[in-house]
Amino acid sequence: MTKQTLPNDKPIMGEIVEKWGECFETYCFKIKLPVKVQSANPGQFIMLWVPGEDEYPVGIAGLKDSILEVGIAKMGPGTEAMHKKEVGDLVGIRGFYGKPFTPPEGVNHLLIGGGFGMTPLKLLTEKLMSNENKQNIHVFEGARSKDRLMYLKWLQDFHDQGKINFHVCTDDGSYGYQGFPTVDLEMFLQESETPSVIYAAGPEKMMKAIFDLGKKFANVIDMQMSLADRYMRCGFGACSSCAVDPTGWRICVDGPIFNTEKLEKISDFGVYKRLETGEKKRI
Amino acid sequence: MSLATKIGNITIRNPIILASGVLGTTYSTLNRMYEAGLGAVITKSISSKSRAGNPNPSVFALNDIRSVISSVGLANPGYQIFREDIEILMKNSTPTIVSIFGENKEEFIEVLDGLKDLPVLAFELNISYLNTEKGGTQIGTDPDLVYEIVKELREKTRIPLWVKLTPNVSDIIEIASAAVQGGCDALVAINTLKAMVIDIHTKQPILGYKKGGLSGAAIKPVGIRYVYDLYEHFGNKIPLLGVGGIFRGEDIIEYLLAGASAVEIGTSLGVAYPENMVRFFQMKIKKYMKEQQFDSIGEITGGAHR
Repeated sequence: MTKQTLPNDKPIMGEIVEKWGECFETYCFKIKLPVKVQSANPGQFIMLWVPGEDEYPVGIAGLKDSILEVGIAKMGPGTEAMHKKEVGDLVGIRGFYGKPFTPPEGVNHLLIGGGFGMTPLKLLTEKLMSNENKQNIHVFEGARSKDRLMYLKWLQDFHDQGKINFHVCTDDGSYGYQGFPTVDLEMFLQESETPSVIYAAGPEKMMKAIFDLGKKFANVIDMQMSLADRYMRCGFGACSSCAVDPTGWRICVDGPIFNTEKLEKISDFGVYKRLETGEKKRI
Repeated sequence: MSLATKIGNITIRNPIILASGVLGTTYSTLNRMYEAGLGAVITKSISSKSRAGNPNPSVFALNDIRSVISSVGLANPGYQIFREDIEILMKNSTPTIVSIFGENKEEFIEVLDGLKDLPVLAFELNISYLNTEKGGTQIGTDPDLVYEIVKELREKTRIPLWVKLTPNVSDIIEIASAAVQGGCDALVAINTLKAMVIDIHTKQPILGYKKGGLSGAAIKPVGIRYVYDLYEHFGNKIPLLGVGGIFRGEDIIEYLLAGASAVEIGTSLGVAYPENMVRFFQMKIKKYMKEQQFDSIGEITGGAHR
């Protein structure tokens, strides 16, 4: 039987069937799920259990024929433990959790991300490309240098085929233009006369800057941003470790994708996040 | 017909209280849950210093038994920082019970001293937490320690003290009696049951702490039994709060009939749409009261003993 999504349950064990170094300190994995699952929606995440080590939220980069793709950047002992896993090893998966991106029709889709934030944007790019009506897709990616650009070849190939517009930049100019991805985004918005939706994922500070930029343009009709860069324990709305102020929305179930209207109400967006103790920490 | 209920000398607008440990890490979720229609809310257990808690995985669902296993390990920022959150709750007039935790008597006293000037509804003493090396259930299984701690805290405040009991004892009446003799204002039964899950493929316990506590539908009959036993022994002498596995309005009524004056709900509110759950609970209680011609919650309490 094919399931719509996985039940909210204990981790189910999936076998790593493919592993590759994607870019600097980042590995991607394909994991075979032991059950048939229909699809994952872009923006949703899983809780990844590295047995005996740690469990943490990870964005879904792809799902085809019950094979799940994730990309893991080195961010601490838990991610390093995953980097040591090889083809044939088992890891636990809970999910799929969270509310996805909801792209409307008839707009410019502006996807902008950095680092680990590129994983949900990869799945979103794929979904938008598979739409029967051709979509106007722009992907903006920036990194410190060429070796840190995630999915570079994948995105560049689709750009070369004319399926997306890939706006790529690096801080040191080693690939694309030199500077930040917001430079091209701003330029696009200044010149565009048609409505756009911005989708962003990555470090919260970056997203706040994009949000503030997007608000200046009347042609940006919505912004959808993933706040998954927060501490989570349960993933399904019980522990409230990831709750935001003052609304009490939990990123894991009320998000992780929030639109402009909701982001305006989250007072800690880009300001502070809560540590595992519940203490506030400035972003 | 009124849903209001009395627990000792305090009255809340309905008998449904958010249990400690779920949706209680920040003021924002607590406010949200009160605004959803609960009678009162209970914070996560607060200790003297900040605690990072146990390694993950520390909470996951057990779908087939509609339950959750957890070993969060009392992650909290410590009372000095959490005070800020409580003050916001007070400003919002959210009836708040603060759950406090100590590894020993001294820590309980320090936390109580640090918060007792705030107009909270009550303090709930967590002497029944499982997933910690010190304190918690190590205290809650020792009647002498329970008596001593409750008595000392009693001398320091007139704010109601509720004592949350562990089901992991052979004689709950002995522990409950010690708490009552110490001077507590209400008994809360039950905290989680000892539990564990092992992955058969990797042969590893799944929880980062290896062992955990079980909450959810699986433990409801256990909770009902303990509340029934406590009411059988104490009658109306001490108010009881029933907690454990409430998923439906019927479960609330069952706890009231067993002897509870109010209930605490955790696991079934830790879901995507807790507001809907609160609405369902209220609707069901009202329907039952109308059908059975009850005018107040107090009339239902202990009904199974008559």
